[in-house]
Amino acid sequence: MKQMFAALALGSVFVGVPAFADAEVGKPAPAFTLKDESGKEHSLSQYKGKVVVLEWTNPECPFVKRHYEADTMANTLKGFDAKKVVWLAVDSTAHNTPDKSADWKKKEGISYPVLQDASGATGKAYGAKTTPHMYVIDAEGVVRYAGAIDDDPRGKNAKKVNHVQTAVDAVLNGQPVPASTTTPYGCSVKYKS
Amino acid sequence: MRQRVSKRLALVGGIGMWWVAAVAHAALPPTAVASGAPDEGDPRVEASLLVDATQVKPGDTFRVGVRFRLDPGWHIYWKNPGDSGLETDVAWDTPGTTVGPLQWPFPNTFRTPDGFIVTHGYDGEVLLFAQARASEQATGSLSLSAGINALVCEVHCIPADLMLTRSIPVGPQTLVDAETAPLFDTARSQVPRPVADTGHKAVLELDSKQLSPGQEFSGTVTVTSVNGAPVPTAEKDFFVAERIPGVAKVSLTQTAPGRYALKGKTEPDAPQGEPRLKGVLRLGAAASGFQPLEVDLPMVPFAAAQAAAPATPVVKAPSIKDSLAAVKPVASAAPAESSLGLGMALLFALLGGALLNLMPCVFPVLALKAYGFTRMVRQEQGRVGAHAAAYAGGIVASMLVLAGAVLAVRAGGAGVGWGFQFQEPLFVAAVCAVLVAFSLNLFGVFNVGLDGTSLAGKVDQSHGLMHSAGEGVLAVVLATPCSAPLLGTAVGFAFAAGPFTVLAVFTALGLGLALPFCLLVLVPGLAQKLPKPGAWMERFKQVLGFALLGTAVWLVSVMGGLAGVDGMTRLLAFLVAVSLATWVYGQSQLQEGGRKWASVTVAALVLGGSGVAALRFDDAAPAAHGALASPSSTMALAAPWSEEAVASALAAGKPVFIDFTADWCLTCKFNERTVLARDEVRNAFLEHQVAFFVGDWTRRDARITAKLAEHGRAGVPMYLVMSPGAPDKPEVLSELLTVDSVVDSVKRAAECSKSRHQDGAKVVCSAAFPRP
Repeated sequence: MKQMFAALALGSVFVGVPAFADAEVGKPAPAFTLKDESGKEHSLSQYKGKVVVLEWTNPECPFVKRHYEADTMANTLKGFDAKKVVWLAVDSTAHNTPDKSADWKKKEGISYPVLQDASGATGKAYGAKTTPHMYVIDAEGVVRYAGAIDDDPRGKNAKKVNHVQTAVDAVLNGQPVPASTTTPYGCSVKYKS
Repeated sequence: MRQRVSKRLALVGGIGMWWVAAVAHAALPPTAVASGAPDEGDPRVEASLLVDATQVKPGDTFRVGVRFRLDPGWHIYWKNPGDSGLETDVAWDTPGTTVGPLQWPFPNTFRTPDGFIVTHGYDGEVLLFAQARASEQATGSLSLSAGINALVCEVHCIPADLMLTRSIPVGPQTLVDAETAPLFDTARSQVPRPVADTGHKAVLELDSKQLSPGQEFSGTVTVTSVNGAPVPTAEKDFFVAERIPGVAKVSLTQTAPGRYALKGKTEPDAPQGEPRLKGVLRLGAAASGFQPLEVDLPMVPFAAAQAAAPATPVVKAPSIKDSLAAVKPVASAAPAESSLGLGMALLFALLGGALLNLMPCVFPVLALKAYGFTRMVRQEQGRVGAHAAAYAGGIVASMLVLAGAVLAVRAGGAGVGWGFQFQEPLFVAAVCAVLVAFSLNLFGVFNVGLDGTSLAGKVDQSHGLMHSAGEGVLAVVLATPCSAPLLGTAVGFAFAAGPFTVLAVFTALGLGLALPFCLLVLVPGLAQKLPKPGAWMERFKQVLGFALLGTAVWLVSVMGGLAGVDGMTRLLAFLVAVSLATWVYGQSQLQEGGRKWASVTVAALVLGGSGVAALRFDDAAPAAHGALASPSSTMALAAPWSEEAVASALAAGKPVFIDFTADWCLTCKFNERTVLARDEVRNAFLEHQVAFFVGDWTRRDARITAKLAEHGRAGVPMYLVMSPGAPDKPEVLSELLTVDSVVDSVKRAAECSKSRHQDGAKVVCSAAFPRP
């Protein structure tokens, strides 16, 4: 019967299609070991027991520029207990160099390390698509939030909801994260290809 | 040569378009053009505010739009930008003019070289436009402003914030701008239109009955053309989804023209409710022209959110109740059925199977069996039991084959129902051929098995048993289109449950079908009451042959519904060839040696050759809506069923009667002729302003399969009565209609709505339509 064969053929097609990857909310975060702009190594595993915020960044992206002009990241970090929360920026831009990151850190007065991922391996393991693209990982190493920094893609709202702030607060208080996945906005990550 | 001409034409056309665009551009006031996204001082986008009229009459409609022209390699984004980027935003400020929603031509898809990041938008040039309407009070001129916020990207991205302003004079007449109107028309032709407006029908069938947070899901989207024209193949990047709340990813892959495999994944914290698959689909090819369609199809509901999901999953064999709950996410129809246990389902299946013997499809086989039986009782007393067992075995075996097919198709993700094999033209043709051959056998054109020729003494007993088993198979094959009372419930139950239940229910069904015949054997003395064999038997045998031909006529009409007049003609030609082949074969039985084999070879060649030549049925042939075409009065009121039509009828305060039917379903036809076509029913429908819909399941229709499953059914007929006062609680009528049952339920449905309409506070509905 034609219909049946078609259905069976279709079934086998499905088996052959790979599953969607990416860091997923509710699943363990992909492990990584990356050097920062000063050459110091950072592994996700060394921060076990703390909440880790990952910020995909690219200083050349207008959305990133806008957020650094407004001090969005610094102001968000300020609200957290430094003993419990670690903030790591990750730059997966293919043509980025440690020197560029160091200059940027100095210019913006950034206190956290800027991890060098020019190969893009970590960015792709997380499924980071935009700059900024934010992830919150809890003390057990489980992804609890993935998405945008806030609900204001155009940077025009007087009142914004800072999703990372909300997520970290919820994780620290042992509460479920209200909107654990949002659509990130911004420039695409300029991966090596 | 031809190619060169068309190239030249394209060039001329291109120049023409450029000229039109250039003129349109030149006529613009300077405030209506702006450039932005400076890349080291070089702007990457130019935007202009276009209007398709040079003067507008108060109250008239016109079109306004923003044309973006981008440097090579640069693009802006569609309303769902994809993995990155930002929706292009046009904010209108148009005092005295109302502007409708922005119209988006079908977007291009952009991929990074490694394919990791996929976005949707426009490069080159695009006109995003909207319908506008001047106020009745407009005087002087209308001021039009558009604030644009766009992200312009190549490899890197530059935001563009632009403001465009112009005005347009108000006058006694709306004057179309001959230079810009064609630009709007071109853009309009690229904007996807709702599927229904394009003469197509789209159906989404998901493989699961509900969506769970963070889970992958799959399904099938089928697009058919209402007028029967083939659905063109789609090219790469033919589908772009909108953002769907709760759904993280969704993609379509073309498996055949008009058929697409859907894969997707829900977000980890999926919302409540039922999401809709929204997006744009583009049929056709660049060379022959695209047809963009807007898809908006209901998916399945999200599973109820679990408070604090348990860490350790409880492994538990799914109970029958769970399975039923899964097939009926909305606890709407026939709540009594949902408590149906396996025991009851088996009993229903057994009784239903037994009742099938009385249905017009199976009766000829039973009569045939009874005829053979009377002769056997006299001739081979000892073997009666064996023949009965072979007959029952044939029935049960073919039921199990059917169950296996159901399971296989279901595992493959397609929705099936009772009688689904009659939606396949080749199957119908094969059954028809068997019927004709069988009847010719009864006429004595050739002989098979037990009725041995000159070797009557040496009856091949195993062959005789095969004959009985074959009759069992035929009984099953013919029984499927006849849905007896109780059967719908039992089979619906089986389809909703696990593989074991499917097999058990089909076995019970088979035993039920074999039961009356077996009773003749098992009850002593009953067989003795059968008439004595004699010359009457030969006559009776031939009469039965005509009964089988009658059944074949019905199948030919089924083929008409599946494959049109052409299909019917092909089938009839094939049947003539089958008759010829059996006749040649019959002749061979009188011959010996080489001549005999030559004849058999000729018969096989005639059969095979005609089969290959004739049995090509076009699936896309127009569906004959037998029910709609029937001349009877009530049926003439019917409209084709669709969820949207039902919803709008209910919204208009009309009670709804839905007849799910198929041309090959004799019970359906019986109900339509003897009940629905009656004047009492017609008058009741007219009196209560009933909206009457017919869902035709003659051919595969995933929407109807899903609708049947929603009410625990796996086959037609199914009759739903819905009240506008309680649209969520349809009444499911019995498979065997009576005039009273139809008239009463329609009246109840109407009254429930009436009391609600007259006095919103007091809703008085009967038990069948509990107050909403």
